[in-house]
Amino acid sequence: MSQLLLVTIFLPLAGAVAMAGLAPLGREAVRWTALVVAIATLALAGTVVNSFPAEGASAFASSEIAWIGPASGTATASSGLPDVRFSVGLDGLGVWLFGLSALLLLTSVLVSWDAIQDRPALFYGMLLLLESGCLGVFAARDLLLFYIFFEFTLIPLFFLIGIWGSEDRRYAAIKFFLFTLAGSVLTFLGLLAIVLWDAHHTGAGLRFSIEGLSQGLAAHPLPESWQVWIFLALFAGFAIKVPLFPLHTWLPLAHVQAPTAGSVFLAGVLLKIGTYGFLRFNIPWLPSATATFMPWMLLLSVVGIVYGALIALAQRDMKRLIAYSSVSHLGFCMLGLFAINRLGIQGGTLQMINHGLSTGGLFAIVGMLYERYHTREISQLGGLARRLPWLSLFMLIFTFSSIGLPGLNGFPGEFMILIGMFQRGFVETAGAWRLGLQAIAVVAVSGVVLGAWYMLWLVRSVFFGPLKEPHGDDHGGHAAGHNGDHADHHAHSDGHAHGGDHDHGHGHGEAPLGAGPPDLRWREFAALVPLVIFVVWIGLQPEYFLRRMQSTLNPVADAMTRPIEQRWGESSPAVAGSTADKLGSR
Amino acid sequence: MDSKLHLLMVLVPGLPLAAAVLTALFGPRQLKAASHWPVILALAGSFLASLALLGEVKQRSAETGGQGGYEHVLALWTWVDLPEALRLDPANAKLSGGSALRDFRIDVTLRADPLTSTMLSMVTFISTLVAIFAAGYMKGERGYWRFFTYIALFVFSMTMLVSVSNFALLFVFWEAVGVCSYLLIGFWYPKPDAAAAGMKAFLVNRVGDFGFALALFLIWTTYGTLDFHDRATAASFSGEAAAPSAESTGDSPSDRATGLMGVVSPARIKANAFWGGGVGLAICLLLMLGACGKSAQFPLHVWLPDAMEGPTPVSALIHAATMVTAGVYMVTRCTPLFSASPEAQATVAVVGGATALLAGLIALTQHDLKRVLAYSTVSQLGYMFLGLGTGSLLGIVAGMFHLFTHAFFKALLFLGSGSVMHAMGHVIDMRRFSGLRHLMPITHVTFMIGCLALAGVPPLSGFWSKDAIVASLHEQAHHWQETSADGKTSPAKHASEESATIPKANAPTLLSAAALARLYQALYYLALVVAFMTAFYTFRAFYLTFYGPERVPAEAGSHAHESPWSMCGPLAILAVLAAGIGGYLEWTHGFAHFVSLAPSLAGGPVLGTEKPGEFHLTVAATSTLVALGGILLASYLYLGSKREVQWLSSKANLDELSSWMDVERVARWRNKPWIAGIHANAKTVGLGWLTLMLGNLLLFAALLLTAPMALGHYVSPYRLSYRKFYWDEIYMATVVWPLQTLGLLLAWIDRWIVDGAVNLCGRLPTQLGSLMRSLQMGLVPFYGLAMLLGTLILIAAKLLWAGS
Repeated sequence: MSQLLLVTIFLPLAGAVAMAGLAPLGREAVRWTALVVAIATLALAGTVVNSFPAEGASAFASSEIAWIGPASGTATASSGLPDVRFSVGLDGLGVWLFGLSALLLLTSVLVSWDAIQDRPALFYGMLLLLESGCLGVFAARDLLLFYIFFEFTLIPLFFLIGIWGSEDRRYAAIKFFLFTLAGSVLTFLGLLAIVLWDAHHTGAGLRFSIEGLSQGLAAHPLPESWQVWIFLALFAGFAIKVPLFPLHTWLPLAHVQAPTAGSVFLAGVLLKIGTYGFLRFNIPWLPSATATFMPWMLLLSVVGIVYGALIALAQRDMKRLIAYSSVSHLGFCMLGLFAINRLGIQGGTLQMINHGLSTGGLFAIVGMLYERYHTREISQLGGLARRLPWLSLFMLIFTFSSIGLPGLNGFPGEFMILIGMFQRGFVETAGAWRLGLQAIAVVAVSGVVLGAWYMLWLVRSVFFGPLKEPHGDDHGGHAAGHNGDHADHHAHSDGHAHGGDHDHGHGHGEAPLGAGPPDLRWREFAALVPLVIFVVWIGLQPEYFLRRMQSTLNPVADAMTRPIEQRWGESSPAVAGSTADKLGSR
Repeated sequence: MDSKLHLLMVLVPGLPLAAAVLTALFGPRQLKAASHWPVILALAGSFLASLALLGEVKQRSAETGGQGGYEHVLALWTWVDLPEALRLDPANAKLSGGSALRDFRIDVTLRADPLTSTMLSMVTFISTLVAIFAAGYMKGERGYWRFFTYIALFVFSMTMLVSVSNFALLFVFWEAVGVCSYLLIGFWYPKPDAAAAGMKAFLVNRVGDFGFALALFLIWTTYGTLDFHDRATAASFSGEAAAPSAESTGDSPSDRATGLMGVVSPARIKANAFWGGGVGLAICLLLMLGACGKSAQFPLHVWLPDAMEGPTPVSALIHAATMVTAGVYMVTRCTPLFSASPEAQATVAVVGGATALLAGLIALTQHDLKRVLAYSTVSQLGYMFLGLGTGSLLGIVAGMFHLFTHAFFKALLFLGSGSVMHAMGHVIDMRRFSGLRHLMPITHVTFMIGCLALAGVPPLSGFWSKDAIVASLHEQAHHWQETSADGKTSPAKHASEESATIPKANAPTLLSAAALARLYQALYYLALVVAFMTAFYTFRAFYLTFYGPERVPAEAGSHAHESPWSMCGPLAILAVLAAGIGGYLEWTHGFAHFVSLAPSLAGGPVLGTEKPGEFHLTVAATSTLVALGGILLASYLYLGSKREVQWLSSKANLDELSSWMDVERVARWRNKPWIAGIHANAKTVGLGWLTLMLGNLLLFAALLLTAPMALGHYVSPYRLSYRKFYWDEIYMATVVWPLQTLGLLLAWIDRWIVDGAVNLCGRLPTQLGSLMRSLQMGLVPFYGLAMLLGTLILIAAKLLWAGS
């Protein structure tokens, strides 16, 4: 099993290398190879994730290779070299994100099938490189290794956007690259400071093991002033990745310009690295700074939720709309994480997966529409449910998932986040911020209404109403839908009001559809169906997914009870005492 | 023994779900025009199962009934389980019933109790008939299978909604029925109106759900559970004992040695451990907001009339008989919570009364037959809330009773209007047809029975339930009068001394008993007024449709005849029940006694009065007279020649008044020869500006004078009613447009200010670089000077620091 994890991470990398050799063989060979690699990666990752124990694990399928410094297992102080290892393994936090990355690779390859004509070998090579990076990020158990993978994901995506993007791709790619790089340099400094502090206290050499550092920091917590600065340094990198308001402006641009696969991967996986970083490093390692910043983080999250949603409401470009919805949804994730209780953190983590599935699916569908109509303008399209019924069905499912409809995956995540946030505001926090946190909780819930508004508006404009297609080769317009004899008092508004200059209706009622782009093809089904399976599964039985995360996430939340109590509590002895009891009993 | 009950509990929602899956899988290819068969069979099976369930529950509740009521809970699977998620304030844990450390555990549970099984049998019965009707009505439609899939899905969601035993799952299916409604309203999605109406329904409901969600979160943070029912033991389900430490003795469960009280469970009702005060009131008001969304109560009533864009069977099933009553069901289920705060109950009553009045007024002038019925539904739902708002067992049971009978006669009326619509080629504007009684005799008779029942004419169903509500209002006014006369009897008679810190239930804190007495008295009169209007608009629609000269619109074509048996059959069955079921249940006292055995209603002490099913002769006589008066007025105005209608609308329109004072006419004065002459003459002597100014002043004055007229034109009573009191426009102007504008504004800010700041930061290094470059001019003296300056600054800094 331990080898399997390594193989899973390196398989896409190997595939990427192979692409170089396959390039002369042409597009067909390249994309089939990419598909095989994607399926194999998914199968391997699925095997690993599937055998992840139900009660959770801290380092499942781990393996370790000495890299810099002493061979694994020996004492670290003697050599004087920093102790860096190629150490990977999955815990409750990483496991589902790991699986999600593998799942979205398949979707990405399939949605690029026809769309990528230019230098396909390079394209799929970059995509596979990106996959290796993401898998590595979520599996890394060594700080330096994490950071290497973290930075490594930038490069392939930079090229994906810069080469295969839309008209403004250069600007978008450079902005994306510089923005995230600027943040992650600071993150690196923050992580280094932690390592140095740890080395200073243990007296041994520099060690980079995440587990070791956790133990070290538990024994010798960082002083408060250090924590604040390190928190801010880590914040710089992770908050830009998330992206947290007001550091989000690279995202809409990057999404709009990126090729479909890039958007799917960016939204589905790369943004999660930011939230993952917060949960992996900031909260457990910097408890007192986390407690200090908690209200501010919550405030930024809720502003992001409402701000993103309102801007999404004003968008006229499908990809931009979904990009801003991502800002809003990631606000929900951050809200859950920084509610810092069991419900909030689990809900936030679940929501990371959910957002990956639903937004990944939405971007894939917008890509499919773009392939058919070469436009992303909402006003250019209408009534496509008649032309593309299957595509519309999937769109409806992902929309419902995205707006948190019960029975699908978005609901349990949002529900737990919000209920956790309510606990934070109404039960668990005393002192100055209590009212503020209550207000944040209530405003956050309103994001759910706004979310439904812009998504349903998108669905209504593009998929419902009279048929409207660009190019002027359209048909219908007087698609009154039901039989011709239903010319009731609405008939006058059919077609005429919405026709515009493209509207040459073929008469009333069941207008013949005429020729138009085809509905979903098999490969497109194959791209979407796996996502839908998980959308429904998580919705019906979130317990299956949550159980595997609990043993990792609950201690994170529990350990924060006391720092928050110290920072914001009115020193209620009952609660503080009980926490001590609880921690003691474990 | 239990296994039979369990089987029935699972079958009732299970069969429609199975039918939905079956139709979705095989509908498009294999079943096609036969797609209705699996659905009809499943719904009929579900109905039979729910009848059996009803019998079973009836028998068991009679055996065990009396104190605490009867409930049976069946857990299916665990949806979410997060141990030790919440630590309640130990001081409050006692009231919240159970230990302070709570697991966030939500099981998918089904329950059987009198309330649930009553709702189940009503829902499955109506949906079976509607499905049969729809098989005729929707014949030949594109997406026939899709329609029946949605219907089956809806029935599944609705039966689950009334079956689940947990607030979180109630919310789940609350939203699920909303989605089915969205899909069915938008069934003819190429119609822009239908697509817009679906979206509107969903969004307005989301606003209600926002309140519901907040209420739910508050329930979680105060009660520490979302279950309706009691849990056996706190320790048994988490697998580990809850915090076995010293302070845990402080949160030992109050009444029972083990276990966790549900929110509206028998144990809690027995202990009367409900939050009153601010939190209790907030929870109730937020729940009511949720109910307002789903049940289309003011101010969230705007979606229901638009929902009539959906196919008519959908209007009958979802938007009249079942889904819209979910709010009534939910508030009934939460009766103990509402009992804890009389202000909340008064709010429910006021909201219900306001809605009943508002919707009744709007229904008076609508021309669209379905819209009349839609507003009538809103109004009748308001009536139900009036009953619930009394807070007495009498009133709540009356509200549920009205829900039950209303389902039959309103479904009948909607299906009747569907039959008319089917014959008229989907024309539903009552100005375009009339005198259909000979063309459609069965529809005519059944529709008449429905109208009589809705109007509340004895001895039809509507009379009994409506009368019960009016009587309960009367009673409640009396009750508060007595309380205020009693004066200073301790209002907090149920408050136990050890929980003195927690605001306690049952005593009004914001409103005095005398004020409540006046309020309920006013609502009693309002209910009578609404009853009058109901009778009037119902018969107005009836006469306009079925009497007068026989006219048929062109769209009807060859359809203008009685509908097929699949449509008339359900009409006939519903007509029989609409006529008889109310009286039957009233005289056997079956309904009131059975429903009051539901746990939420059975706990005597939390309720004002303890006598369900009282019959008041005076009240009954009054409301009968009122109803007959309404019918008489409608007959006078609309039966026979309709001259009164023309006269009424022409007078009320104030068209003449506004037309002779309009601005355009004043503006046209400018072109009158003599005025133009004066102006020309003035211009020759250089006074053109003066006449122009005078003219403009006159024009302005005329405008000022006309504005109130124009406004009067729009706010005349007839217009107000006809334009639905402009609620849609008001929401457009106060909510939708401002938010959209804000979105545009924020998009602009995001692009130019937030992103602009980022770009500025991005350019800073380059700018700094070029600044630096300008310093590199290659002049040695300059470098020397700079060095000197720098050194001086450093020395100065050093000195300053040393000095301080």
